[in-house]
Amino acid sequence: MGAMKTKNLLWALLFAVIVLGGVLVYRSLGKGEGTVAVVSVDGEVLERIDLSKVRTPYDIPVSTPYGNNTVHVEPGAISVTEADCPDHVCIYQGRLTGSGIPIICMPHRLVIEIEGGDIDG
Amino acid sequence: MAKTRKLALMALLTAIALTIFVIEAQIPALVPIPGVKLGLANIITLITMCLLGKKEAGAVLLVRVLMGAMFAGSPSTLLFSAVGGLFAYLTMCLTVGFFGENRLWIVSALAGIAHNAGQLLACVLVVKTPGVFAYAPILAASGVVTGVFTGFAAQYLLKALKKLKL
Repeated sequence: MGAMKTKNLLWALLFAVIVLGGVLVYRSLGKGEGTVAVVSVDGEVLERIDLSKVRTPYDIPVSTPYGNNTVHVEPGAISVTEADCPDHVCIYQGRLTGSGIPIICMPHRLVIEIEGGDIDG
Repeated sequence: MAKTRKLALMALLTAIALTIFVIEAQIPALVPIPGVKLGLANIITLITMCLLGKKEAGAVLLVRVLMGAMFAGSPSTLLFSAVGGLFAYLTMCLTVGFFGENRLWIVSALAGIAHNAGQLLACVLVVKTPGVFAYAPILAASGVVTGVFTGFAAQYLLKALKKLKL
């Protein structure tokens, strides 16, 4: 019984490390440089926008075979402001200002990435 | 267990899993991270595996995933949920015998990681954007947290159900 308890504790410890490590690594991402945003659906690039050259904010309507999103472009940032998907996670992801973590709308297979300057990959 | 009895029980478990799945889909996202959800229907997969067997759990899961996409999801999310479900199911099959019914929380945590890994892999293949892998660390963390939670839920539910002598 004692050995089992130790083993359980080791598993709990391993899981704690995964959780803490995962959160820390995730938080350290998304602060990359780069200003060129790429909007793609199903892997096909729809728009490539240099956010540093944007002066006035504007919206891009994106229609996919799976649903519709509104992409909002402003100086230095890009976000999804409207979506007819059920979960709206892409809207909650907020404004993208640097490379590292893309905005994803899984139901609509829409990805918005900022191409990294010095980031690998 | 008599054949009819088993069939009825499987149908009941499928209906419960589907109900949980549909209700969970109505809850707004807890965190702004794609792919993160509690996965409460996983509790039913786990207890079906322990009460009836691996094949039976696979059948209940398959029907739940297909009907879940019909009721609460969309055809385009079916793929992600199916690949995630398959990865989680295989992980459960491989580990449940080793850990046993008193350590379902470990089985479930591993299955949670596997589910999110499968889902992420399917997503990357579909959108052909490797940058999506940036979500791997946080999805592993979320798989553990939700997996431990549903695993303990399944463990306690199983204990109560065994007293009922189904």
